Amino acid sequence: MLCASEDRCDLLQAVPLPTGGGIDDWPGLRDWLLRMRRYEFDHTTMGRPCPTKDGLELTTNGSNLAAVLVRRKVAAPEDFAAWKIEALRALPEYTDILAEQDEGGRAHLRLRLEEAGEVIGAEDLSQGSLYALALFALAYDPTPPAVVCVEELDRGLHPRLLREVRDAMYRLSHPETVGLNRPPVQVVATTHSPYLLELFRDHPEEVVIAQKHGRAAYFTRLCDRPDLKELMEGASLGDLWYSGILGGVPDDPSEPKPSAETD
Amino acid sequence: MDRTGRRKRPGSFSGMKLAILSESPADEAALGVLIEAVLGGPYLRVQANLRARGWPSVAQVLPAVIRHLHFNTDAEGLVVVVDSDDSVVHTPLHDKPDYFHPQCRMCRLRAVFRQSTKNLPAARGRSRVLRGVGVAVPAVEGWYLSGMDDAVTEAAWIEGQTKEHAPYSRAQLKARVYGTDRPSLAHETHCALRQVRRIARDTRRLEFDFPGFAALAADLRSWKAR
Repeated sequence: MLCASEDRCDLLQAVPLPTGGGIDDWPGLRDWLLRMRRYEFDHTTMGRPCPTKDGLELTTNGSNLAAVLVRRKVAAPEDFAAWKIEALRALPEYTDILAEQDEGGRAHLRLRLEEAGEVIGAEDLSQGSLYALALFALAYDPTPPAVVCVEELDRGLHPRLLREVRDAMYRLSHPETVGLNRPPVQVVATTHSPYLLELFRDHPEEVVIAQKHGRAAYFTRLCDRPDLKELMEGASLGDLWYSGILGGVPDDPSEPKPSAETD
Repeated sequence: MDRTGRRKRPGSFSGMKLAILSESPADEAALGVLIEAVLGGPYLRVQANLRARGWPSVAQVLPAVIRHLHFNTDAEGLVVVVDSDDSVVHTPLHDKPDYFHPQCRMCRLRAVFRQSTKNLPAARGRSRVLRGVGVAVPAVEGWYLSGMDDAVTEAAWIEGQTKEHAPYSRAQLKARVYGTDRPSLAHETHCALRQVRRIARDTRRLEFDFPGFAALAADLRSWKAR
């Protein structure tokens, strides 16, 4: 199938499910599309108190994180407790996370430091800590979106925290592995981190390399590369990507363009 | 009592200062239990949370880690364990004097230890940081299945390599140990600890089935002999 041009993709193709169903379920498809969410967190607003009434679901920039957690603590206490355990495990410098509402109906997020028990407001957290709290909040959402898109999943995070973040995304996309009985969430996340990429070494089918060429972008599934196994015998997946042999690095204008065909 | 809640054995060798270079907190926790079992008692951790990102990063970072431990810490030994993945498995042939197999990770790590320590001057009252190297074939989950699945052994893996038909995959080993090949870190740690606490009661079976662990155990026992 071809798009209108190399620069304009106007192709939307509805394909039946492998089981044969789905093609006639337009209301279901519409509902599914309406439950797609994209996240590009903004640490400058995430830690601030916000109206609890705005906490129905996490906003694109995560600015209502405190409100989401205050509401969840009441509406889904088990999910809130599980979120807190996971967050404290990933951020061991804290012993407790307090999600509370003040008399004016504003939600506050505070964390208790292990050292001396001092309580600090979420606005004083590092960017990475705020992003991690928000990603865990998504993973422990009892009614998650149908599709979760996260821009630069590794942004601001300590490389050693990436395993926990990957696990959080797997909790969404493979709920059966953690004993959850709900439909899987499609997770689409971007990264430029060799460290995060390395965590998908055993699942190259989950990695798509995006190659920009001029104004067009080309997408290749990593597992389609026939020599991948041999390549990974001598190097880490992250280093392979960084080297450029897997693609996904800035274009050399002198090289010929790949085919404009997409599928 | 030691860190794992077991009573200290009479005549046990304890209090040794050592560091562990591992790929994950789960591996580190499990290795700690196995090391205590071989040493016969608790040890003192030096430079907690050393971490490498799998092969070949381990081999690349190891010289710097050894140098750091030698000059800046009181560590008497360093334990390094890696998965063999699909690389050449270490055999007794590789232990012959002056033999070195470039595709064997045990040979590679031992060579790194040799080269990194041979020219270092004595520091902090010892001539060098002692070596403890283990290679899990094909992955550490194989060790965790020791005594539970007779079909999972280093010999079975080598035979599979010879016939170019692996008896099991790393994903299958993970699935058997964790119930999924996408375990969370917390679940992985929990399962790993459960298995190594079982194995630690008597490590002879693990050493017999997995010479890559026996090599580590031999290194650790040689520390005791010193």
